[in-house]
Amino acid sequence: MEAAIAARVSTVCVLRLYVTGSSPRSVRAISNIRKICDEYLQGCHELEVVDITQHPMLAKSEQILAAPTLIKMLPLPSRRFVGDMSQPERILLGLGLRDVPKRTSLAGNAGPPYR
Amino acid sequence: MNSPSKSALIAELGELRTRLEGAEETLRAIRGGEVDAFVIESAAGPQVYTLQGQDAEASRIRGEMLAQVSDAVIAVDDEMRIFYLNAAAERLYGLAASHGLGQSVSKIYELRWLHPGDEAAAQTALCERGEWRGENVHVRPDGRELNVESGITVLRDIAGQPTGLLAVIRDVTERKAREDKVLVSETRYRRLFEAAHDGVLIVDPDTRKIVEANPFMTQLLGYPHDQLVGKELYQIGLLKDEAASQKMVRKLKRTSQVRYEDLPLENQRGQHQEVEVVANLYDESGHPVIQCNIRDITERKRTEEHVRMLMAEVNHRAKNLLAVVQAVAVQTAKHGDAATFVSRLSERIVGLAAGQDLLVSNQWQGVEVSDLVTAQLAHFKDLIGTRVLLAGPAARLTPDAAQGIGMALHELATNAAKYGALSNSEGRVRITWHVTAETKPRFLMSWLEDNGPKVVAPARVGFGQIVIGRMAEAAVQGVAEIKYGDTGFSWNLSAPLKNALT
Repeated sequence: MEAAIAARVSTVCVLRLYVTGSSPRSVRAISNIRKICDEYLQGCHELEVVDITQHPMLAKSEQILAAPTLIKMLPLPSRRFVGDMSQPERILLGLGLRDVPKRTSLAGNAGPPYR
Repeated sequence: MNSPSKSALIAELGELRTRLEGAEETLRAIRGGEVDAFVIESAAGPQVYTLQGQDAEASRIRGEMLAQVSDAVIAVDDEMRIFYLNAAAERLYGLAASHGLGQSVSKIYELRWLHPGDEAAAQTALCERGEWRGENVHVRPDGRELNVESGITVLRDIAGQPTGLLAVIRDVTERKAREDKVLVSETRYRRLFEAAHDGVLIVDPDTRKIVEANPFMTQLLGYPHDQLVGKELYQIGLLKDEAASQKMVRKLKRTSQVRYEDLPLENQRGQHQEVEVVANLYDESGHPVIQCNIRDITERKRTEEHVRMLMAEVNHRAKNLLAVVQAVAVQTAKHGDAATFVSRLSERIVGLAAGQDLLVSNQWQGVEVSDLVTAQLAHFKDLIGTRVLLAGPAARLTPDAAQGIGMALHELATNAAKYGALSNSEGRVRITWHVTAETKPRFLMSWLEDNGPKVVAPARVGFGQIVIGRMAEAAVQGVAEIKYGDTGFSWNLSAPLKNALT
């Protein structure tokens, strides 16, 4: 079981998040998916954020209908999640990370002191 | 027509299932109100429509406007995660928006405050006024340090609750480096100006008034700094009068440099000094200024005068000495054979040279009696303190007296070694000198021998007799007394004090 988990998290997870500028749901989606990556996929993921207002043709090529949309490109099979990613359980389940322990705490990423 | 294989059918089924799941997921999110934009196909290509009623074109234009801004713009949410960064921010921090968005801001730079207390002041400003402006340092992950000027504003939602921060950041690293360079240069040249041992005055060529003076100028002239500034050069005694001041400025405008050597200067204390002035006309950021360098050359002039006097003195003395050598040679040649002549002349010239050495080492300012005696009795230095006794106060002979007495001491020592107290093993010589306490004091010097062999006056007057007699007398305009007594030879010289001592 543990070996299976290790194999899953050691595979590089390639994610692409399609957002619309800095709209509230896009901002939330970005923040939520980064948290998941930091906690469960630290060091073994690539996350690219695409603003479809700046790059609409990229939305077309991936057949994006609504934003925010997250696509798990790798490992296959491809999966897509739509919304502000505010239900981490669902995303973790979809990414196959439900039973993977957290890798780090966000406390280490505290922002600048003017927060 | 071939029917598809089983594996192709399975793959197609998987693809359809994935698309169905994607469609279901999209529908679920739309129903749940989790989306804020749709992508619609049109003849012109894909169009993005947002649910806030603001179309994607407006958003794109706003994005392009921010992309054109040369300052970095970064927006973070209430967890300090970046949700917006413009093209300038991408360039400044060396990362693409696609990788920076959602990142904690601490991942793209480490914040360093310039002064203790800046951080607390920034927090207070953000809490109380909702904004802060200031300078600090951002350290990129690659270690590069950026000096930045930041303007930070608190972002709020419709209810007025803080939702994050918007930072507009300007890279001032190059400007800071230039400022630091200017500051270093300013400090260096200010130190030169203030520590210089030349006076420096900055003068406005239009008003001819002093606008700046260095501390040495104050020391040179005796005026405090505030009394120098605003005055014209003639008012501080540097030039004769106003006309001279005007003339200098006119000449400077023509030639850019004026030099005055040996300018007499009277300072505020009434003391006269010799100064050398070099004035230059410079351009200072489009405005002409005159810089005057004033060097106190009083000491240099004094030294030059002293050297001139010394040269004349050396010339005079060299001639005198040659005359003495000539006389010694002539007198020595009158007695004895050629070998004796060579030997005696050499000894006498050595004696003269010893006196000369002392005079030179004392810069022709005279010779201490004890030093002269010791030098002339160099051959008997082992006997000094036992058989040759010296007694007398500190007294400095004039150059002429030193030459005459020096030669006499040499003759006396030679005679004592040949015929007198130093020719046996018991004899002693006492050399004494003192100044009498009369109204017109006299310098007395004695050479007294005892315990030596019996001495008799020579049958003829040789050159040695002349040296200890007439020549010694002539050197001090005094009287020499020579006795060949029962107890031994004695020589006494008496001269007016002013002729013998300095």
